[in-house]
Amino acid sequence: MTKGLAIIMFSGTADKFIPLGVLTQTAANLGVPVRIFVTGFATPYFTKNKPQPRFPKEFEDMVPHLMKGLEKIKAPSWYDMLKEAKEVGDVKVYVCSLIAEALGLKKDHLDPIVDDIVGATFFMKETAEYEVIFI
Amino acid sequence: MPEITVDARGMACPGPISALTRAYRNAQNGDIIVVMATDPGFEPDVKAWIERTKNELLELKKEGEVIVARIKVVAKK
Repeated sequence: MTKGLAIIMFSGTADKFIPLGVLTQTAANLGVPVRIFVTGFATPYFTKNKPQPRFPKEFEDMVPHLMKGLEKIKAPSWYDMLKEAKEVGDVKVYVCSLIAEALGLKKDHLDPIVDDIVGATFFMKETAEYEVIFI
Repeated sequence: MPEITVDARGMACPGPISALTRAYRNAQNGDIIVVMATDPGFEPDVKAWIERTKNELLELKKEGEVIVARIKVVAKK
């Protein structure tokens, strides 16, 4: 079993947030530490004024069926999965300092689920022995 | 020894294991946790959880659509 998961959350489309939630919660359930580095287009979803989730254009035709299915099985949102994972496990959410600067985001603008704004050096050192997943 | 029932029927992955983890957090060694789930991945998932957390799987059976896992808590520190 891995020593931990380092998840780099870059994408800003709703479909990519599903594996973020599932992998994070699963790792927390198994006692595997998780460190999430939020950067790129994913960043606005970790602020207090979250945008509406959007799906990638090339899969637009699949969205209604997928959404209906997720509703039917009462799948929790990625946000709720992350929140619960933080409650039961060793999970930390960091926002990339470069992108925070570029978007003019301070700690006050970020959702309470975010632990801190950090640089890549801190993240790389903290997750040196972890497996890296890029989403 | 207390028996804790976790009704995870209708929950999709990783819901049943999350529900089990929640119950496990409040359990003590010697407790029995009974999980009922309908997620098709629950059987291999609960076996993996048992292996990882080093608890004891007393019984794993199918009752129609429902998979029932009977777990003895032995690995709490």
